[in-house]
Amino acid sequence: MDEKSTINKDSENIERGNNIEVWEDVVNIKDLLLSILICASAAMGGYLIAPDDPQKPLLYGLVGVVIGFLVSSMIIKPKRTLRFEDEEK
Amino acid sequence: MDLSLIMELIAISIFGAVLYTIIGIAPGTDETAVLMPVTLILVLSGLQPISVLAFFISSIVAKKLTDSIPVAIAGIPGGVLSAPMVEHAMVLKNRGLPDVSIRKMASGSVIGTLIAVPLSLFLANLLIPFGETISKYSNEIFFGGAVFLALMTKNRWLALLSIVPFALLIQGLRHLYWGTGAVPEDTTVFTSFFLGITVGPIILKLLELLNKEIRSNLPRRTTNDIVLKQQEKVKGFPNPFKILDKKETGSAAFSSVLGVFTFFMSPAGMTIFLGEVISSRIKDPIKKATRAISSMDGVTNAAYISGILIPLIAIGAPLSPTALGPGMALFNAPPVFTEDHNLHHILSMGDFIVATVIGAVIAISLTYFVTVKYSQQICTFVFKYIPHEALLGVFLALVIMLAYMDAGLINIGGVILIGLVAGVLHRWGVNYGIQFMVLYAAPWIVGNLVF
Repeated sequence: MDEKSTINKDSENIERGNNIEVWEDVVNIKDLLLSILICASAAMGGYLIAPDDPQKPLLYGLVGVVIGFLVSSMIIKPKRTLRFEDEEK
Repeated sequence: MDLSLIMELIAISIFGAVLYTIIGIAPGTDETAVLMPVTLILVLSGLQPISVLAFFISSIVAKKLTDSIPVAIAGIPGGVLSAPMVEHAMVLKNRGLPDVSIRKMASGSVIGTLIAVPLSLFLANLLIPFGETISKYSNEIFFGGAVFLALMTKNRWLALLSIVPFALLIQGLRHLYWGTGAVPEDTTVFTSFFLGITVGPIILKLLELLNKEIRSNLPRRTTNDIVLKQQEKVKGFPNPFKILDKKETGSAAFSSVLGVFTFFMSPAGMTIFLGEVISSRIKDPIKKATRAISSMDGVTNAAYISGILIPLIAIGAPLSPTALGPGMALFNAPPVFTEDHNLHHILSMGDFIVATVIGAVIAISLTYFVTVKYSQQICTFVFKYIPHEALLGVFLALVIMLAYMDAGLINIGGVILIGLVAGVLHRWGVNYGIQFMVLYAAPWIVGNLVF
């Protein structure tokens, strides 16, 4: 746990200049653009390749969104540090 | 009513509750964006009308229970209706009490549901004789609602002045789409404009990031340090009346009743209004916040349930924001449901009661249990593994896709335009409620401006 948070801190120090607060949480601008790109292209990709039946494009698009979300979650590290109050005492 | 039908209703309700427990936890999942498409798919796939209703009720109850989680842990609205709760939830989050806030909100939700189901069925029954007359005046009601909500805000003149220009923007885009042939003239673009308003504040914020001066003035932080307080385990089946204190239960119940009676008003508007009224005199910030969020969650649940049941049972036309948004497919999903042949015409009063009660009971018993019992585990998991960037990305991707689905490439630009204007208005204090009412009444408002 300790080791992990140090690694996180180091990499964040490098990116410090680009971390900003959007919607009550800290994000990295580059990561944010990357995630929007991944999710949007997965969604639109799913939508556009789907067979031309009613509701199919929407369904494929939703699957695309889920895939986009999973991919971005895997490649982007949350910029939060989490600790429990009781653990420190 | 035979046993196999009851089993089918139970099964479809479990499906709805499980699906929307998961979806609700994911932040930024707009009610309309996630509920309407799935309901539509089920309707078109030929599911029995009564099962569709049970699914829908179970889904909204589950969704409203879980969408308090992202509000509590990340300050991200889990849907339009939880947006007004963010401010109060942040007070609790900053004090390390996000799980308390989840429990209070979920309990408020349960109270809202328990009150709304019988009361809506009762009120709908009373309103049946007036159904037709009411549906004739829907535009006037929405316009009146927008004016009323505008007068209730702090910057009332600004809010009042924004009504007509905003209606012009919406109708202007629709006429542009018709003129350029982006959509046929009998199609009114609605869902994506609705989403545009919902994401307005974020679109504005994101576009501002492209402005160098604004970007360099933004507060910079390397990490978001969150301290969670270890909570005692909830033993047995959680009881909402124990989680909330008496005053909280009372105000949640009171605001739920009002939420049912104002079913035709924007739920978001009513939530903001009642939340402020109920909590404004409490000094202690934590008590103020818990009172506000439990009552607000009660209202949103009550307003959603009444907003779908009353128009369905009494009127047959989508005459409430809930019916016009997430519940649209229950009223109009050609070729299965049309204006003259939808749930209102197909189901009997008994059907409505059975489907609603089964849906609501299943969603409460499944979702409330999970939400309250495992709120801390859920918080920890989301904080540790779900990056904020991915959530924002998902939200925007959904908007882009639905914009494209509604009216093609041109509409992505249109939705960004609406989002920008809505975002600025929102920042100025013209809340979601006013903007949604204007969206519904826009054709009527504009029609009355031309002589």
